[in-house]
This record gives sequence, C-alpha cells and structure tokens, in this order.
Amino acid sequence: MDILFILIPLSVVMALVVLGGLWWAVYRGQFEDIEEEGRRIFEEDQE
Amino acid sequence: MLTNTFIPEDVSPNPSWVILDTPDQWLRFSQPVGDDPKHALVQSSLLLDDLRCAACSGIVERGLTGLPGIVSARVSMSKKRAVVVWSPDLILPSNILSAIQKLGYSASPASHNENQLNATAKSRAAFWRWLVAGFCMMQVMMYASPSYFTKAGDIATDINHLLNWAAWLLSLPVMLFSSRSFFSNAWRDLKFRQISMDLPVALGIGITFIVSSAATFDPSGWWGHVVYFDSLTMFVFFLLSARLIEVKLHSKTLGAMEALVSRIPENTERQNLDGSYTRVLNSQLNVGDVVRVNIGEAFPADGKLILGQTKVDESLLTGESTPIHKNLHDSVVAGSYNLGQTVNIVLETIGESTQYGQIVNLINQAAIEKPRLSQLADRVARPFLFFIILSAVAAAVLLWDIDHGRALMTAAAVLIVTCPCALSLATPAAMLASASAFVKRGILIRHLQAIESIANIDTVIFDKTGTLTDNHIELKSIHVKEGCAELDSLALAAAIAQHSMHPVSRALVTAASQSELSNNVAFELVDIQELVGAGMSATIKVHAIHSGQLKLGSAQFCITGHETIPSADKRYQQVYLADDHGWIATFNLQEAVKNNAAQAIAQLNEAKLEVELLSGDQLHTVENTAKTIGIKQFQAACSPSDKLLRLQWLKQQGRKVLMVGDGLNDGPILASAHVSIAMGKGVPLTLAHADYVLLNGDVSQIPQLIRHAKKTMWIIKQNIAWAIVYNTVCIPLAFFGWLSPWQAGLGMAISSLIVVINALRLTQFSTVQFTDSSSKA
Repeated sequence: MDILFILIPLSVVMALVVLGGLWWAVYRGQFEDIEEEGRRIFEEDQE
Repeated sequence: MLTNTFIPEDVSPNPSWVILDTPDQWLRFSQPVGDDPKHALVQSSLLLDDLRCAACSGIVERGLTGLPGIVSARVSMSKKRAVVVWSPDLILPSNILSAIQKLGYSASPASHNENQLNATAKSRAAFWRWLVAGFCMMQVMMYASPSYFTKAGDIATDINHLLNWAAWLLSLPVMLFSSRSFFSNAWRDLKFRQISMDLPVALGIGITFIVSSAATFDPSGWWGHVVYFDSLTMFVFFLLSARLIEVKLHSKTLGAMEALVSRIPENTERQNLDGSYTRVLNSQLNVGDVVRVNIGEAFPADGKLILGQTKVDESLLTGESTPIHKNLHDSVVAGSYNLGQTVNIVLETIGESTQYGQIVNLINQAAIEKPRLSQLADRVARPFLFFIILSAVAAAVLLWDIDHGRALMTAAAVLIVTCPCALSLATPAAMLASASAFVKRGILIRHLQAIESIANIDTVIFDKTGTLTDNHIELKSIHVKEGCAELDSLALAAAIAQHSMHPVSRALVTAASQSELSNNVAFELVDIQELVGAGMSATIKVHAIHSGQLKLGSAQFCITGHETIPSADKRYQQVYLADDHGWIATFNLQEAVKNNAAQAIAQLNEAKLEVELLSGDQLHTVENTAKTIGIKQFQAACSPSDKLLRLQWLKQQGRKVLMVGDGLNDGPILASAHVSIAMGKGVPLTLAHADYVLLNGDVSQIPQLIRHAKKTMWIIKQNIAWAIVYNTVCIPLAFFGWLSPWQAGLGMAISSLIVVINALRLTQFSTVQFTDSSSKA
C-alpha cells in the first residue's frame, strides 16, 4: 500500500492541473456559446 | 457552391453608416486586437437581424470573409451576433454593414458598453466559481469514499491522514474562492443587522471547515478526528448551481428585450445654416435643430413636421401597427419610423426625456435590477434560523465548562446536521425549475417573486384589444340589395379595397381570397382614389349590373339618396358599397377573437377566479366580445384613469388582481396591479413594466401559468416543511450527542437531495391535469 503515498499527492497535483486547464477554457470563452459550436459540425466546410 | 453567388462584387457604403467610419465611433462597438502596430486589427461585434435558419450564419460568415480586409467573421445564431475582425487599412465599418445588407440581412453595431462587458466578465466569474466547486467536490468525494465503505481502523492511520490532507487541499479553493460571496453577503447582513440565508450558510461552512481542518492536522486533539470536506464541498456546489441557473434565466429574459433597445437611431442628417445637410450623431443634436428624415429611417427625437407630410409607424410606442398619417405641423415621436416620404422636422425634445428614451431607460433598469428570490423563504425560515443558531450557541455554552472539545463539536454537529442547506435550497430550487418550464413555453418572467404573487390572485382583468382579440378585423356577414349576389358584391368591394392599406380594406381582401369567387363577372376599375377618413371611389367599366362611380366606405360617404338600407347593427363596424344607382351591399366587420380565448376564460372561471374586461372601446363592441368569450363582468369606454380607479377599488376590497394587457395606456395599470402579464407583441414600455411576457400572445397559457405557479408554491411549502421536520428531529439528536458526525453529514446530503428532486418535478408543465379539467368544462 506504500504506493498510495505517491498516488494520493499525485492525484492532487493532477486535479490542480485539470483545474488550470478548465480555467484556461473558461477565460478563452469556450463555454460562452455551447449550441453554436455543436451546430457548426453539420455545416459544409469552408473553402 | 451555391452560397458563393451571394458574395457582393461591389460594396459601396450606405450613407447613414459613414458616420461609423471614424476610429472614435467604431471603438464604441469594437476593440483593437493583435500585437503588430503596423497592421492593427479591430474586432467588432454586430447585432444581426433576420437570421432565419442555421444556414444563414454560414452565408454571412462566408460572405464577409470573402471581402478584402476581413480577417475573420464568426456568427452566433443563438445570440444573433457577429464578431468580425478586420483591418482598418483595407475596409471600413460602413462597408461591412453594407456587405451584410447586400447578403439580405440587417446589422447594427452592438453597443459595446460597459454594462455588457461587465455582464460577460461577471457571468464568466460565476461560471468559473461553480466549476471550481463542482470539480473539487468530485475530487474530495474520491478521497472521502474509502471511509464510506470501511470500518473504523481498516485504513492505516497514516493513509487516512494523507487522504484528509488531500481533501483539505482541494477544499481550499472552494472555501477561499467559490464560497466567497456567502461570506461577503453574511458580513454585509451582519453590518446592517439583518439575518438572511447567507449567515447560517457562512457560519455552517466556516465552522465545518475549521473543525475539519483541526481534525486533519491534529487528529488527537479535542476537535475529534472526523472530517466533513465532502459535505462541505457538495453543499457549496448545490448552492452555486442554483445561483448560476438563476443568472442564466435572467440573462435569457433580458436577451429578448435587447433587440428592442438596439433599434435606437444612431445618426441623422442635420440642416446646416446654408441649407445643406450633414450627417451627425444623435447625441450631438440639440433642441431647435432641423433634421431631414428619409424613408425607412427612425425619427431621432420628438419634434414637429415643418416640411412635407408622411405616414409613420408608431408601433414601438402604441402597439398600433397601422401607419398613421402626419400632416405639416403634426408632432412625431422618437423611435417611430418614417414610411411615407422624406420630411424635415424641428426637434422639440431630445435624449432621455423623449418617450422613447424613457422606454430604453426602463428596459435598462430591468437589466440592472438584481434577481431576488421570494420573501416566503425568509419569512418562514428566519425564526427557524434564529433557533438553529441559538441552539448551537446554547450547546456550546452549556458544555463549555465540562469539556471544550465536546462543546465545540456539539455546536458544529448542530450546525452541520441542520446546515440550512435544505432550507436555503427549498425556495430557489423550486422557483428556478418552474421558471425554466415557463421559458420553454415562451413565457418570460421578469423576477422570481412574480411566481409567488400570481399564485395568490383572485381576480383577472383583461384589456380587450390585442389581448383577447387578434390585432385585425374580419368580415362577419354581408347584406345585399335584392338581385345582387353576396359574392359578386364582395368581389367588387375587394377589387377596390386591394388598392388600400386600411385595416377594413385588408379584411375585405382577405375575406374575398378565402371565399370561392366566381370569376365570370368581368369588370375593370379605373381612377381609383382614397379619401382619408371616408372611403374609396373608383369608376367602373364593362359591368353587367353596376355602372358609374363605385364607392366603398362609411354611410355618409356612400349613401346619398333616401333609399332603404338595413338598419345599422351596433355590434359591427359597417362598411357600405354603392354605385350611381345607390346602395349595393353592407359589410359587417368585427375584431377577430383569438381562438383559445373562450376556453381560457372558461378555465379561469372554473378555477374560481373573477374575470373582468375593461376596455376603451364602444359599449356594443365590448359587449359582443365579452359575450362571445364568456366574460360576465365588463366595462366599456374606459379611459386609462377609469381602469386605474377600478383597479384601486378592487384592491381596496382586498382583491389580488392580475392584469393582462398590452397597450401603452396599460403601462400604469400593469405597474400598479399585483401581478401583470403582457403580450409579446405589445409595446416595449408595457413589456418593461410587466412581470410576465407571453411571447406568442397565446391567452390559453394564462390558466396554465396560474396553475403551475400554484403548484410551485405548494412544492416550496412541501420543501420547507420537510426541511423543518428534518431539522426538528435531528437537532435534539445532535444536541445530546446521539448522532455521529458522519450520520449528520449523510442526513444533510440526503435532505438537500430530496429538496432538489422534489423541485425538479416542476420543470415540466402539468398538461395532463389540464386536459382533464378542460374536457369537463
């Protein structure tokens, strides 16, 4: 079970990394308009 | 590709937009982007109109990116906005706007004011706060889960410490960042010597965190060794979820109003001293200036016509969509549209003191107004909150001398077990679930208290025009001279009427196109003329029966001799058709009653609500409408002050009144009624006053709305009752130390889940019950 002494702190670090990623996404406006980006898939590609 | 054909080859600026081509103007709706100072780029946001389908956004995007100087263009269908990045060296805003117009859409600069920038920043911050709480909650749950499934002592002590430390570390962002608003609100309430939901919430979070932190770092100390980070983060996450949804719903309601505000005219041609015209911003206009207003432009301020005569569309102010004729020296109002010809006006009132300015102000006020929750929760919960805090303090004081640690732990247990989660979620969860059901049905709600007020009403007052009737008139019956066929007369009347835009003429044309007319009667009309306020005349050629001058209009206009015509029927608005030989036919017209109106009234009556009709129209018209739809109590020829008097009288009788209206005159009445509903096609001023807006103008939604509001209040009461019962059972248990802390935490979680799930039942309109009762009626 000694591995837990590494894994638990590691999970905290990873959680903080993910939080950082989420922060980046929120302040880049990723969640401002959720419907539009979903719709865009169905459009023809632009030249 | 088909869409390529839409790219305009030659884009020339529209004169009214040239004013936007100076940097100080375009910066009002744009901001500079990019780092390279030599090739500065500008990002502008534009409000788009007429976007009909998803493909439209693609057309605009492709059309714009095909222009030289446009770096990128992105259109959001749901927000009806385009964000365009362009280079000022190659293209100017007026070119961009013209290009969009050539593609078949209309665009206006989205006023990029401070308020909107703040709103974006605020909604981002709120979302981020919620996301942090949610993510940390999940992670903290992971660290807490081993203790859910094992007996005490199964996990090695040092691993347990490590798990607690990890949980503590990830609870920190929730405490310090996500729940900051609870602490600041609680502090503000304390300063003003008030008690609100935020105080026990802040106390609960604070004490739980302190006790858990102490248990983490000093497990052998007198704080005990149990941590509650999981309960803590979950609690914060639930509360923030409710607040986030509330903000989203509020902004959705405001979005519907924004389109109205963006119609504000931006610039006008002002006459210079030498008689020439220069385009200036409306903010630079002064009282006494002479401006030229072209066809299709809006009047920039209230003023008087000094050159020319025209027709104007004042639907923004009066809801009346029929163009109104304006002669020389007549007054025109800001925000109305010039439809006839280019005219000159001298300005009398400008800026915010115009009627239009006041409307814009009202709408902006609605935007600033903070969403507030029902008073009910505070009223019921406040005594209870005192009780909780007092019992926690009592527990601590009583046990302090015996054992400090036990004293604090018991106080914490009382606060944790009662942690007013269920109580503080009871009202918002139900109201938000209900409001989202309304929005799905096209009912906008301006503030959530309105749910509480509409559930308590006992009287409904309708304003006739546009509320119970459609905004057009229809042909009800035809009387004809002996020897004439009804349909032939209608064909004749429609042939003249199609040259006029008068509502009566349009009703005749519609009726003619709906009935199967025999086309065997050939005739030709020449010299068609319209006499304002009287009727129309035309000379008829080649007709078997009729000859000479044909007239369509009022009795005085058409009937010259002393012939016998059917006596006037007061219930109808009547129009006559005559030729040189005299009267031919009478057309009886009436305002069209909305399809569902009668059904809606029947349901309101069934729900034991008094229904009244107050109208400014003539007695016989009002009587007729009231009879058709089944309203017993009505009052005709009411001036706005009559309506207000009647409303005040009802209020003195202790009635709770719901007012349904949509005209400009209803504004003060809507504002003073207990609750008000406005129809979506109504006047912006009225919309800004109303608590609810029915976007599709369907009256039959009103009984459903009331029913749903009642159900909402019932569920809120259930929730509060449940929270209080739960707490009264658990407080004694915690007080005497019979409840182990993890049981307290679990109880808290389950009690708040029950409240949320109970509230979620409100996200659907209960239509089953509705059809049952209507089939009985």
